[in-house]
Amino acid sequence: MTAKKRAQDPHETGRSARNNERGEGRSKMEEVTMKDKAFLNDLAREGAIAFKSGRLDRRSFLMLCGLAGVATLAVKANDAEAAANEIVMWNWGGESEKCHGDAIGKPFTAKTGLPLKFDTSGPLQGKIKEMVDSGKVTADVCDADGFDAIALGKSGHLEAIDYNIVDKKQIKEGVAWEYGVGVIFYGYAFMYDTKAFGDNPPKGWADFYDTAKFPGKRSLYKWANGSIESALVADGVAKDKVYPCDVPRAIAKIKTIKADSLYWGSGSEAHDMIVNGEVAMGMIWQNRGKTIEERTNGRYKMVMNEAIAMPGAYIVPRGNPAGRDNVMKFIEQALQVDSQLMILDCLGMTPSNPEAFAKIPEAMQPYAINSAQNIDKVIFNDPVWWADNGGDAVNAFLEAIG
Amino acid sequence: MARAPYKGARALNVMATRTSRFNPYWLLVAPAVLLVLALYVAPIVNVLLLSVTDPKPGLGNYVKIFESDTVANLIWRTIRLCLITTAAAVTLGYVVSYAMLHALSHVRRRMMSILLISFWISVLVRSFAWLMLLGHNGLINDLLIGLGLISEPLPLMRNELGVLIGMTEYMVPYAILPLLANMQGIDPRVTSASRSLGASSAQTFFRVFLPLTKPGIIAASLLVFISSLGFYVTPAILGGGKVQMIAEYISVQLLVTVRWGVAAMLATLMIASVLALMYVLNRFMKLSVVFGGVAR
Repeated sequence: MTAKKRAQDPHETGRSARNNERGEGRSKMEEVTMKDKAFLNDLAREGAIAFKSGRLDRRSFLMLCGLAGVATLAVKANDAEAAANEIVMWNWGGESEKCHGDAIGKPFTAKTGLPLKFDTSGPLQGKIKEMVDSGKVTADVCDADGFDAIALGKSGHLEAIDYNIVDKKQIKEGVAWEYGVGVIFYGYAFMYDTKAFGDNPPKGWADFYDTAKFPGKRSLYKWANGSIESALVADGVAKDKVYPCDVPRAIAKIKTIKADSLYWGSGSEAHDMIVNGEVAMGMIWQNRGKTIEERTNGRYKMVMNEAIAMPGAYIVPRGNPAGRDNVMKFIEQALQVDSQLMILDCLGMTPSNPEAFAKIPEAMQPYAINSAQNIDKVIFNDPVWWADNGGDAVNAFLEAIG
Repeated sequence: MARAPYKGARALNVMATRTSRFNPYWLLVAPAVLLVLALYVAPIVNVLLLSVTDPKPGLGNYVKIFESDTVANLIWRTIRLCLITTAAAVTLGYVVSYAMLHALSHVRRRMMSILLISFWISVLVRSFAWLMLLGHNGLINDLLIGLGLISEPLPLMRNELGVLIGMTEYMVPYAILPLLANMQGIDPRVTSASRSLGASSAQTFFRVFLPLTKPGIIAASLLVFISSLGFYVTPAILGGGKVQMIAEYISVQLLVTVRWGVAAMLATLMIASVLALMYVLNRFMKLSVVFGGVAR
């Protein structure tokens, strides 16, 4: 996309409108200068991208920089060059850095020449909002949740997905949103100790919440996701009637096991609670559950029935440094069947591309959300409900467990 | 005077004594003051403004203290845990400082280095160490079960007890440093005099030594209490999700629920209460003395 086209993009108009809003107190003159600067900056950035991809020769690129003002742009041209040079993925670190690198980064770099870099500090909603509001956007794509895509899209913090580049057919129905793509699925299942309940294993959330029949402590996720739904299902709400969630009802159910419950905030904490015997049954991310089953030779078993399936969304902070086209190509790569299956193998995150469902390996079938044996048993999270009501639900939940 | 030409140090001196006028020594501190204002105070003011502007202008966020049980409970729990931590840490710190005061100098040096090393170990590392010690299959429970003293593991963590143990342990060095400084400043002849005049060792301690260490106790308590208010990692790790304190709640409101107004309101409240606390204490005794300054 050329600078000119970019300036005409309705998207960009939106952004400058927001800039004006912020600069209400500024004089007209300053506003014009700011717009000029933004334009020149874009010009240099687009020039750098064109130069890198060979569409622009070196001389013209330098001339462009000169035109835009050498003094101020000596630094900015560097920034612009760096920006056009790479995709920065903002994820949660650990294994995911290696897995995302191998599964998406390598084929993407082979196709586009752009390397993939990581920021592993965890793209929580508040951090993304802060980054976009500050105007210093350093990430191109965030490994976030579906409800983040809805909430931040609505508040104007995200770039819209370009479905001319990203093929909708490769996305599971219902998770191709305007401001994000459900690239993978993960889920909240639970595990139990076979030593305690081996003869009469628990079958679903109703058993999980029944501490009379299945004595022992329980662990749930601290920030309410999955926990609210699990309580509703345990209380007898039909699987397809979970949304909109009746939060007071869920909390009343959770309070029935309050004295016997612990709450975890990270996968490793959930893991520890189960394998250290702190709980007899514990909620767990289903990919972590697979690891526990393997490492303990099946002593702790996972129940995938009624697991709450969460779409993991790739979202693009508004004004991302690598430009919209590049990052859309990256998302398109993430949806390719090979990449999807590699992520499943490496991270245990389930493909979203329906074409990949049938290719889920036998060994992964019991753990994958969208495998033939699980897809009808799980409950698919409603990100729209969470985007609108999540804040209140989390606070009500925290009050109940505190 | 203001128009008189500078004549070196003498002129500066004269000006410094005229306190009602501009004191040129301020110029020497000015860069530091400006730096603090620009890099520290300005962003804080910005955050504080959020508490009355987000999500809409007004005092809506502050009304929540009275309307919402969550916020009230949270504040009360934080204060309660910090008070218990302060009492425990200062008591333990007092005992250790007292022992250090009376130890041989080479032993005291060794104690000091151990103290400083523990002071420098990150709170994260220490909280995880407590996980190993206090856990269901942790060292302490295993030992007690092995000795046959208990049959079921004690619930030492993922509850308030665990949080208090972790917080107290972290805060003991903060209590020791001001206490020790205070105790070292007490003339040892005073206690000798008390003994020589016939007081028992207990009387000497309770009627002579303890009153003399009062400034140290107050300084230590203040330091520990104020630092405890911001505990985040320890309750998050050792509290099992049930022991939320203000700092963790602020982070949830910032990052997860994205209610920046509520977060800013709680932050404002914390800053205000710390300042109020220092003001009240300053009425009773000069804070500068407590923290080692000169009495005026």
